[in-house]
Amino acid sequence: MEAALLEARDVEVAIDGTEILRGADLDLAAGELVAIVGPNGVGKSTLVRAVSGLRKPSAGDVHWSGRDLRRMRGRELARARAFVPQRMPVPAGVSVKEAVTIGRSALLRPLGRMTRADRAGVDGAMERAGVTGFAERALTTLSGGELQRVQIAIGLAQEAPVLIADEPTSQLDLGAAIDVSGLLRELADSGLAVLLVVHDLALAAAVADRVVVVHDGRTVAAGEPTDVLTPERLERIWKADAHLTAEHGRTALHVAWIQSS
Amino acid sequence: MARRTAVIAALVVALLAATGASLALGAVKVPIGEVLDIILGKGGTGPNHQIVEALRLPRTVEALAVGAALGVAGAILQGALANPLASPDVIGVTGGAGFGAILILIAFPASIALVPVAALFFGLLAAALVFGFAWSGRNRGGTGKIVLAGIAMLSLFTAGTTGLLASFPERAPSALFFIAGGLTNAGWEGLRTTWPYFAAGGLLAAFLIRPLDRLALGDDVAASLGSRPQLIRLGAGVSAALLAAAAAAVAGLLGFLGLVVPHVVRMAGGTSSQAFVVPTSALGGAALLAAADTLARTVRAPIELPVGPFMVILGVPVFLWLLRKAV
Repeated sequence: MEAALLEARDVEVAIDGTEILRGADLDLAAGELVAIVGPNGVGKSTLVRAVSGLRKPSAGDVHWSGRDLRRMRGRELARARAFVPQRMPVPAGVSVKEAVTIGRSALLRPLGRMTRADRAGVDGAMERAGVTGFAERALTTLSGGELQRVQIAIGLAQEAPVLIADEPTSQLDLGAAIDVSGLLRELADSGLAVLLVVHDLALAAAVADRVVVVHDGRTVAAGEPTDVLTPERLERIWKADAHLTAEHGRTALHVAWIQSS
Repeated sequence: MARRTAVIAALVVALLAATGASLALGAVKVPIGEVLDIILGKGGTGPNHQIVEALRLPRTVEALAVGAALGVAGAILQGALANPLASPDVIGVTGGAGFGAILILIAFPASIALVPVAALFFGLLAAALVFGFAWSGRNRGGTGKIVLAGIAMLSLFTAGTTGLLASFPERAPSALFFIAGGLTNAGWEGLRTTWPYFAAGGLLAAFLIRPLDRLALGDDVAASLGSRPQLIRLGAGVSAALLAAAAAAVAGLLGFLGLVVPHVVRMAGGTSSQAFVVPTSALGGAALLAAADTLARTVRAPIELPVGPFMVILGVPVFLWLLRKAV
């Protein structure tokens, strides 16, 4: 078996003295899409930020392809994983292609110039993310779904084997959410490892190979969506009377929205 | 892309024109052909030679260096702090440099040679205090924290300056030229002490262009790309402090330039890409200051007017015109 791309054990994070994460484990292999789910404020985003090196863990071990996160800096880190935030700020007068080129600059030496291969890398990332058609448009003119694709293209330009997306669909309408989650699934099918933080359990069940449930600062369950997102667990963790169905690529979460008392 | 090329071409032409005018014009007019001969070492040894070589050349180089430095300082601070109002004022440099210079001019008028050194020292001290406070406690290195610490430090040093002026009102006129900002005919003296600061600040700025472009896409994207957002902001602050303090030591307080020039080039080029904004801010700042300085010493020659107010008069209409078109 190949070495895992990401291996995180007992990760803890404290922010201003408050423990947000008290022991989380995470594994990721090439070609799989793993969804991280859990109620609000349990530490899902903190977990992916910690393993990405955006926030320093207070304890635990994180390894990227066997390399200790604590020893990784700059370009090495950029080559290990790409982090796509929920929504990036949109600077004026920057085109889609320029933004993706900025993503590619992660691989250059300081003051180093873009080579032909780098320019091909930018074009390839735009192609894979499906943004080539509006490459010359300014970021300020894009819809939410288009912008999310551009953010993914910026991440792809890093040519890291892992793409981490923090709630990429939470601000999108249904059509755009289908579009973006479909893109992430395609990327996983083409060999990329994708880590997705998501609220929508039906969406997670539809696109993910595995889901990881975070609760109270810990990873409490992991496995195939239908095995993990059982009615008992939905009741215990989300306090929801609900059950998940999945057939023929369609998923639904049947929820008792109004609780009879 | 064509638009950006046109802006760069226009700025280069403006820079050359301003440089030529600065060397040729003044109380004595020297034909541009003769100026070229003198610069290239082919001219004679007449009085024009003296004027161009000993007075106008150093003054022009100073104007170009100070203008470029302030343009770059403004551009990288606006980028690093993601704030259109950022200029060397907001990291305390201008306030500190003003205090240092006025302290010498008012309290130790016999040591007037120390003015540039004091401006440099207090300008960098103020910036160091701003960054020291902004990098302590919670949310260290946050944009809001830097700006607030900077404004507080600016107020503190400005109060010190005003206090000095009020305590020695009879000496206040000697400080006016520094406050208004302007270049002098002191030869290479100003640049001799300050060039390492210009060079270090400029070099650091060149290395910051790409990281600042990453930062424009947000701290998270910058971090994803392997940069450290707080370190970029600190680097930008150090670079801007070096450039602005050196500029103040040579030419007094010309804060307006650093605020406005980056906006002008951004609006003219239609982009906020730092790879465009930083170099063009240097070109634009240099051209503007050289032009304004030439105007300031020719309109009422042989009386020299301080360049600061002149630059504002030249720059504000252009700025407002572009602003109206841009928004």
